[in-house]
Amino acid sequence: MNGLGFRQIWLIASNTFLEAVRQKFFNSLLFIAIALIASSTFFQQFDFGTGELKFIADFGFGALFFFGSILAITVTTQLFFNEIENRTALTMLAKPVHKFSFLLGKLLGVQLLMLAFVLLLCLLLAGILYWRESELLSRMDPELFSDGRLLRYSDILLFGFLQWLKFGLLSAITLFVASFSNTNIYTIIVSFSILVVCQLQYIARDAYADMEQGVGRFFVQGIGLIFPNFQLFNVGDQLLFAQNEALPATNLLQITLYACVYIAAFATLAQLSFRRREI
Amino acid sequence: MSQSAISIKNLTKDFSVGMSGVKLRAVDDLNLDVQDNEIFGLLGPNGSGKSTTIKILLGLLEPSVGECTIYGKASASVEARRSVGFLPEAPYFYRYLSGRELVRYYARLCGVAKAELSTAVDSVIELVGMKDAAHRRVGTYSKGMLQRIGLAQAIVHDPQLVILDEPTAGVDPLGSTAIADIIRELKSQGKTILLSSHLLAQIEGLCDRVAILHGGKLVREGRIDELVTPEEVDSFVVEGLTGEGRAAVQDAIKAGGGRLLRVEKPRLSLDAIFLNEVQKREIEAAPEESKGEDAT
Amino acid sequence: MTLVFLLVVGALTRPIETPAWERVKSRQPELNLAGLEGAMGQGVLVGMLGGFRAVIADFLWIQTNSVWERRERAKLDSMVRLVTSIDPRPVFFWINSARMLAYDVPNWRIREEGGYFAVPEKRQKAIDSEQAEQAFALIDKALEFHPDNPKLYLEIGQIYLNRLKDPANAAPWFLRASEQPGAPYFAARIYAELLRRQGKNSEAYNFLKGLFQRLPDDDPYAQKGIILERIRELEVTLQVPADERFAPYRNNLLNLAI
Repeated sequence: MNGLGFRQIWLIASNTFLEAVRQKFFNSLLFIAIALIASSTFFQQFDFGTGELKFIADFGFGALFFFGSILAITVTTQLFFNEIENRTALTMLAKPVHKFSFLLGKLLGVQLLMLAFVLLLCLLLAGILYWRESELLSRMDPELFSDGRLLRYSDILLFGFLQWLKFGLLSAITLFVASFSNTNIYTIIVSFSILVVCQLQYIARDAYADMEQGVGRFFVQGIGLIFPNFQLFNVGDQLLFAQNEALPATNLLQITLYACVYIAAFATLAQLSFRRREI
Repeated sequence: MSQSAISIKNLTKDFSVGMSGVKLRAVDDLNLDVQDNEIFGLLGPNGSGKSTTIKILLGLLEPSVGECTIYGKASASVEARRSVGFLPEAPYFYRYLSGRELVRYYARLCGVAKAELSTAVDSVIELVGMKDAAHRRVGTYSKGMLQRIGLAQAIVHDPQLVILDEPTAGVDPLGSTAIADIIRELKSQGKTILLSSHLLAQIEGLCDRVAILHGGKLVREGRIDELVTPEEVDSFVVEGLTGEGRAAVQDAIKAGGGRLLRVEKPRLSLDAIFLNEVQKREIEAAPEESKGEDAT
Repeated sequence: MTLVFLLVVGALTRPIETPAWERVKSRQPELNLAGLEGAMGQGVLVGMLGGFRAVIADFLWIQTNSVWERRERAKLDSMVRLVTSIDPRPVFFWINSARMLAYDVPNWRIREEGGYFAVPEKRQKAIDSEQAEQAFALIDKALEFHPDNPKLYLEIGQIYLNRLKDPANAAPWFLRASEQPGAPYFAARIYAELLRRQGKNSEAYNFLKGLFQRLPDDDPYAQKGIILERIRELEVTLQVPADERFAPYRNNLLNLAI
């Protein structure tokens, strides 16, 4: 693809981002997520000591995971169908723009939106954790902190990054479903179902190790291969606390590569399906 | 012989309806040529295949049979669309952008060079008469304004061919006239325009050639003046005739081998009266300032 | 077609995914679901598997807290087992659960049976023992997941010492705690103190001497000054002759002199 192609993708992406940021749905979800994370300060009232930090972190990561997943699916669906229903897609594609550029631009736009979402929440979470940890530092037995702070703050960003990758993958899958679907609702329902399967497929794979040969095992193995493994990105609970080992860089690279390959795969599928779609 | 702007050969398009395998034939063996630098009208009632044909021309649909080319390039290719500008029916644009930002966005998308961007955007905005409203959000525009800004985005990359799908649908007569003027201006700049409409009266004064579609088939094609004026019939518009004068004219006609078909009072079109009145009042209302100066 | 394509992609990415997955999986211990089905709704089950395990355990812990405030003994027992089964990774749950069982529950039981003045001491001790056993059982389970966490050993030691008033049984646990990586310095000091209380002065003396050698000089928490004081006190108690007294810096001085 030449330079114009890249520029077009970027233009479409930034326009998509601007459009999405204005959507009431995004703003409401963002607000709820922020409110939820802020409310995690209510854990102070229980005298959990340093355990409080774990609670806040779990809660924050959970909110990011939950709302982010919803957002990824609904925003992608909404933006895609808006273009089709309002026929702005028509105006766009009547220009010298490849359908592929259009799809990639939309995908990238959603990614930018999710990046903003993830960054905001991570910063908020880090802020709250820092505040609570500082307060605990002053209140509690200093020997607990003799090795320095309890939390590895860079891990919040690391978790955010992994979730962002996952959201990208989720968007790509949603885009694929949207490319052949006729309605908003159908796309959202199917995408959510796929999300659940991807999230739980690791259990099927663990089970298959114990199963005997046969149709069941074959089926389960198939599921393991077809659907990407989302549990891979959920390392939240393992990070953060300095006493736990950090995630090795090679694993991080592997997970990133895994996500990129799958995003490319679903984007390709979306393109193939979209090409034949009659607008 | 210069290349046709649009060349459509044996175009047929079937849509599958439902699951039963029944097909709806939207366009049936259409053959059409649009020459360079003419205003061509594609006419026909709703459902006659106009929009389908246009979509195939723009590469948005694939023909079942046949082929279309734009200036020699296959219409399905992205290359062909570099020389095409399109205004869809009932256009909808990103409401939160201003008119200028919208046109600029599409200009960049079409690859207009950065250096020429501002000039191109400003000149088309001026051409469509939206200079005063270009800073306002598209969401605040009236229908006529939407059409005009739509035209602007269609031509900002200086395409040789401009395709307009129902450009005056839902627009009041004043707005329609403005759009018609813009279209004529485009022709004078050397462009080719393909119009599709079912508002026949509006098209009549504008197009050079028309094709009439019905049920997906081409029913009639030709130059407007040839279609609209039957060869053998003349009309004389006369004033001040007495009763005897009328009788003498009728005799002369019979003597010359002709047949008097009818005598009637020529009617002005309501369109013409409306425009006349409104424009008259607009002119009276507008230059209040210059009137002030003249008064001294 | 789509399915085949995805199958291929899955197969191709397997080599990258497997090592990463192994690593991630290793930190997520198996869920022991056998004992749990009755206690949980479907939603909890699915949510848990879906990556919300930690959050769900957290919320159940908050519920456990309410149950604790209301002193519902039987419910506390099952809640505590539930939470630690769902997420055995945080030591926090194990330790606090053990404390509730060892310290709070016996108080409640004694009050239920009439209060500290009414219930005979023998019965009080029996109740304390029973509850301590329950706490120990819980911590044993915890040790399966966290075999080298000093806090767990400390907890056992402290229950023996503070609740059961049994320094003899407490001492070995403090020792084991001090041997775990990352153990707080006081564990070893308490061990020595407990030896002293049992009258095992020479054992304490030898242990403290060895401890002093092992501890770093530059860490204030190591409290080498206090240890040295204790060593001196023991030397008086044991009547150690002056020339045999503990002199860790003597070699250094000699070296300097030379």
